[in-house]
Amino acid sequence: MTPRPLTKINKIDPAELKMLKKRIDIAMALIIFAAALLLTRLWYLQIYRGDNFAKLSEINRIRIQEIAAPRGNILDRNGQPIITNRPRFNVVWNREDAPNPDAVIKDLARILNEDISVLLDRIRAGTENPRYMPTRLKEDIDWETLAAIENKHLSLPGVRIEVMPSRDYLYGDFASHFVGYLGEISPAELTQSRYAKHQSGDQVGKQGVEKIFEEYLKGEKGRNYLEVDVHGFEQRQMQLQDPYPGNDLQLTLDIELQRAAEEAMADKAGAVVVMEVNTGNLLVMCSTPPLHLQEFVGGISTTAWNKLLNNPLNPLLNKTIQGQYPPGSTFKIVTALAAISEGVITPEASFFCGGSLNFGNRRYGCWKKGGHGTVDFQRALIESCDVYFYSVGMRLGVDNIAKYATSLGLGKKTGIELEHEKGGIIPSTAWKQQRYKQKWQDGETLSVAIGQGYVLTTPLQVCRMTAAVVNGGTLYRPQIVHSITAPDGKILKTFAPTSEGKILGSAHSLALIKEALVGVVNSPGGTAKSVKLPDVLIGGKTGTAQVVGLSHVEGMSEKNIPYKYRDHAWFTSFAPAEKPEIAVTVLVEHGQHGGSAAGPVARAVYKRYFELKSGISGTASEPPPLAKDEKEE
Amino acid sequence: MLRFDRRLLLNFDWVLIVAVFVVALIGLANIYSSTHLYTKVGTPLYLRELTYYLMGAAVALLIVSIDYRVLLTLNYPLYIAMILLLLFALVFGKTIGGAQRWIDLGFFRLQPSEPAKLVLVITLASYYYRKETGKGFTLLDLVVPALLTGLPFLLIAKQPDLGTGLLLGFIFASMTLFVKLRWTTLATLLCVGLSAIPIAWKFFLKPYQRQRVETFLNPENDPLGTGYHIIQSKIAVGSGLIFGKGFMQGTQGQLDFLPERHTDFAFSVWAEEWGFMGSVVLLLCYFFMILWGLNIAISARDKFGVLLAFGVVSLIFWQAFINLAMVMGLLPVVGVPLPLISYGGSSLLTNLAGLGLLMNIRMRRYMGTS
Repeated sequence: MTPRPLTKINKIDPAELKMLKKRIDIAMALIIFAAALLLTRLWYLQIYRGDNFAKLSEINRIRIQEIAAPRGNILDRNGQPIITNRPRFNVVWNREDAPNPDAVIKDLARILNEDISVLLDRIRAGTENPRYMPTRLKEDIDWETLAAIENKHLSLPGVRIEVMPSRDYLYGDFASHFVGYLGEISPAELTQSRYAKHQSGDQVGKQGVEKIFEEYLKGEKGRNYLEVDVHGFEQRQMQLQDPYPGNDLQLTLDIELQRAAEEAMADKAGAVVVMEVNTGNLLVMCSTPPLHLQEFVGGISTTAWNKLLNNPLNPLLNKTIQGQYPPGSTFKIVTALAAISEGVITPEASFFCGGSLNFGNRRYGCWKKGGHGTVDFQRALIESCDVYFYSVGMRLGVDNIAKYATSLGLGKKTGIELEHEKGGIIPSTAWKQQRYKQKWQDGETLSVAIGQGYVLTTPLQVCRMTAAVVNGGTLYRPQIVHSITAPDGKILKTFAPTSEGKILGSAHSLALIKEALVGVVNSPGGTAKSVKLPDVLIGGKTGTAQVVGLSHVEGMSEKNIPYKYRDHAWFTSFAPAEKPEIAVTVLVEHGQHGGSAAGPVARAVYKRYFELKSGISGTASEPPPLAKDEKEE
Repeated sequence: MLRFDRRLLLNFDWVLIVAVFVVALIGLANIYSSTHLYTKVGTPLYLRELTYYLMGAAVALLIVSIDYRVLLTLNYPLYIAMILLLLFALVFGKTIGGAQRWIDLGFFRLQPSEPAKLVLVITLASYYYRKETGKGFTLLDLVVPALLTGLPFLLIAKQPDLGTGLLLGFIFASMTLFVKLRWTTLATLLCVGLSAIPIAWKFFLKPYQRQRVETFLNPENDPLGTGYHIIQSKIAVGSGLIFGKGFMQGTQGQLDFLPERHTDFAFSVWAEEWGFMGSVVLLLCYFFMILWGLNIAISARDKFGVLLAFGVVSLIFWQAFINLAMVMGLLPVVGVPLPLISYGGSSLLTNLAGLGLLMNIRMRRYMGTS
């Protein structure tokens, strides 16, 4: 093919030009159509469906990072902090920043005192997460480790410190059962409506007031709105919503008294309850052995948990409200109140105690084998004569006893704002019929009259009963919280004393009982003379609760009885006698004698209480040694 | 040959120059916005693109100064050079993103498939100019042009670069239809073409190419894989709303959600940041430029000028349409850049050369015919 010379140009002939023009017009139409199609598509994407895409682009780029709120503080009744928050430092691994992880991990393992393989395992486990997400290598490191890491900061690329708020237990295991502990919310809890605002991974109260008042304590989480790129890495902070701390919870507990009780109970398993008799406020809620709250921070280990489960002293049980024990002789207060009020005896009427009483074909013994001789109402309570109360019980019948016991708040839950409270048992003919489908035996009434047999009570019930007897007959609902205060100081809620009504029994009978109870501590022959304080008149009642039938321990000397067969020791009391302010109830598991095992604990609490009241602060002195003749029951 | 007439300057096409200038400004601004965050070393990309623009302007000026009819002599040398370049790229080329498309020239990485598009336009225009149309082409008349198209098509598809390959097919089809086909030829071609689709699907397309088409038909099936590009691009365009998120404020583009945001998906960045208003302005400028190209074609002094101008217009139009339809989710993802807007030296130089040819034809419309 030879090209035509350039200079020779063929002008297009008109016919062909016309045809080409026509085709150009068609091409123009097609191009305009294409443009219209694209514009329509733009309109559809940007205007018709624009809001939808705008939303999608927001979701794309915004990551919301939640910031845990500091939980509310827990304070004692004087506003002294018991539990606050402290920063908790975790070591995290950011693989994006670590070009050479092996050397860094080697260094880090030395600082953290951890095995390299442990750290590597954790890093490996974290590789499934998105790259921007740090992996936690060690939680809650101490200040020294923190300082070491901060010092070597530059030589540890990829290692970062994460700070989060954590509980700070200022008094260690102080009232541990009562305040409870925190843990990660469980899948089961997440489905409950009370946790509707929670999310998986949150720390929530698992026990005690931490759990009950979760809603008030938790605060509002903060939110950090981060703009992220396609890999999830932060580009900048869009908006920061600070967390709002939880509300402060002012308990009715008194730090000093609680500590006095815990010190006195340090080597004992049992419970101490102290209640303000005219309000129902609880000043002490002590259950021993305590839980070690620090073990629960960040989740308790399986080994530690199994150890708790298998401990024969049952540290997991909050004995103040969950421990159910026969009240023993402390129950004679109930029998006495019923007897005088019902008029089955007069205070002056005397009974003879020869050491036992025969009823039916059985012999019912008095704790004092030689007998008390002739005893009237006062002496019977002071010396805790069983034979006297057998006789009174027989006259009353079990249903009369049950009626008074129930009106004193026994045999049912007190309504304290804590979970898993036990109600105890107050037997009656109807109860036995329902429970065992059996007729009540009269002999069983004798056991009930001295607080044995089927009767079961919790230390809190016994304390509340004592308070009601000495405050003029009002049964208060136990209060554990004084008030709830917002972080800005605004009081959100206060808890006024709640009366649950008057107990049965005449004012006269109550006065008689109170007088006798003062005698228990202060008169010769009283079973709790060891509790006596020089300046304050204390009244109270000892008790011994049999754990097993006598046959198990027959003939053994007290020292030789195995721990688990030893009797529980009770002491329930009040002071000052003239105008009672507080009731103190002590239970020592397998403590054998109310006066000697439980009494000194109560005495230590009173001592502290009245020292604080008169403005003296100091440590309680040792209780006086026990005299031989003061052994009781 | 280098006869420079004063009339040439009088016939200078200011409309075309202004249209190209406006689109070029938009393109540069857009590249600045989408890459300013990420160019940490070396020359910023918008400056490089500006350099390509200046180089392209020089090339266009050179083209304008020489009568386009010289191409009637140069067409086959150009064609052979193009084939050699494509072969060279296939054998020695740089592999980027799984495709052998690049020839490293040291200062510049040439993508020979880009100039190949323009060379094909020149080749076909020359061929059809010389061929007597008569009552229209028969099937037999199409054998030579089909072979001329088929050779670079195969070389490019082999890289593999299906988008550019198909583009060659569109250019061939457009120009052939423009010249005139017999109805019978057209009907036969349509039947053969339609029946060839399933065969091509099965034997010719690579798995990733089939996947792209499948993904296009149902992008939500694979939102993180191949559907990702389409979904993110639609989000970018749609979230621009009426007025856009503002210059350099587009989150999809700036935060890297948008892939290839300065090359194939450059329009998504523009649509996100300038909204419906900005997109309409760009599209109007763009299509005005294309339609003006057709106006140049029809006013050419000879048939070669008409064919050449039409070929250049079809080149620009098809690239633009395929690219825009792709980023708006109307077509599968194929690597076709948006002329003058997408970043890339080879593409820009090719398109500016094409626009230079348009200017050339326009300026000589009254010359040498009297």
